[in-house]
Amino acid sequence: MKHLLSCILLAVVLVAVVQCHKATDSGKLTGSGGSTARFTISGNYLYTVDKSNLKVFNIADAANPVLKNTVPVGFEIETIYPFKDKLFIGSTSVVHIFSVDDPENPQKLSMAISPEVLRRCDPVVARDTVAYATLRTNQLCGGTQSILAAYDIKDITKPVQKATFPVSEPYGLGYADTALYVCNRDGLYVFNISSAFNPQLIKKIPDDWYLDVIPYNNTLICQVQDGMNLFDISSRMAPALITKIK
Amino acid sequence: MNPPLLIASGIGLCLCLYSCEPDYPDSTGDKQAYVPVYMSATEKNNISLSSARTTERSGKIYAFANYIFQNDQNKGIHIIDNSDRMHPKKIGFLNIPYNTEFAVKGNYIYANNVNDLVVIDIRDINNPTVVNRVEGAFPYVNQQYPQQTGYFECPDTTKGIVVAWELQTGKTVNCRR
Repeated sequence: MKHLLSCILLAVVLVAVVQCHKATDSGKLTGSGGSTARFTISGNYLYTVDKSNLKVFNIADAANPVLKNTVPVGFEIETIYPFKDKLFIGSTSVVHIFSVDDPENPQKLSMAISPEVLRRCDPVVARDTVAYATLRTNQLCGGTQSILAAYDIKDITKPVQKATFPVSEPYGLGYADTALYVCNRDGLYVFNISSAFNPQLIKKIPDDWYLDVIPYNNTLICQVQDGMNLFDISSRMAPALITKIK
Repeated sequence: MNPPLLIASGIGLCLCLYSCEPDYPDSTGDKQAYVPVYMSATEKNNISLSSARTTERSGKIYAFANYIFQNDQNKGIHIIDNSDRMHPKKIGFLNIPYNTEFAVKGNYIYANNVNDLVVIDIRDINNPTVVNRVEGAFPYVNQQYPQQTGYFECPDTTKGIVVAWELQTGKTVNCRR
């Protein structure tokens, strides 16, 4: 299994979705982004990632962003996501983890390399001490299995993979309580994660190519290939379609 | 082969398939090469609200207060009124040339406009206003050369901003990477 997964390394997407700040007071001010963003707001700071740099803008005066710092991160950076006082920066090869204890001076803590090594890393959903990621294969190496992976992140700089679940072609993901929503090319998958390291597939909604999700109160906002699908998730495990917006 | 060697070989093969380009002879007429697509600075500054429209190239999503926003790749941002969450409705489209990324805080949208960061005041959602621009804050695409290796037409900065690279045949190509 380990070797099989190693072959994914040119392909993988580690998708972490961090929705943690939506429930906080600042969440009311900043809203929520998806798991594939290059811009994120944390407190009075806007963090952006381009191909190689992390930039820090002070937006305490909201209309007048001031560039405070430019931090070289690495190559082929794709996504940024905040988790607690950390920034996870996904690249095509590793996840760079920065501390933003001092918000204007992000300090690199480590590079987290998933056991499978990652060809494409996007955000990770972190929930307390557990992170979920989707690892997507690409056609170059072929024949391997894409997976949903669960990591123990008690030590945030050393994620330990605890479980995997096969999925065909996963993209972004997000969670609300014990429901984990995983985007897949052939639909939206709903997992029960009450047992964190043993995700149970509850339901597939096979109507579109799903790319990213934002659980936002009782609405699940989904980016699909031709627009947006919205679901009522008052019942977390049973998303009910509200509408499709094209 | 032992597993590490097998894996190493696999990686090597992948890298080779990915990076090996045929080595064309110089300046023949019909080879394929990447040609820069330019946009003028005046086009870039055309940020304006228009009526709701159909999504062309579905992009990133963001939820803020009673609104949901969705990027339309390289075109701008769809605005959806979600105040009645069981009946959300597209209410407008914010044209932002070559926008792909954005975030929202305190009634301001922070968005890239090609390679600038623009701040758009949305306190009146029917009259979004650009209140600030930080030039060159967000490198948008490779301005000097295409992502792909091989031949390409050298960019001419007097023609405007490079917003894309198109593969064309039979062009004069004078650069290579």
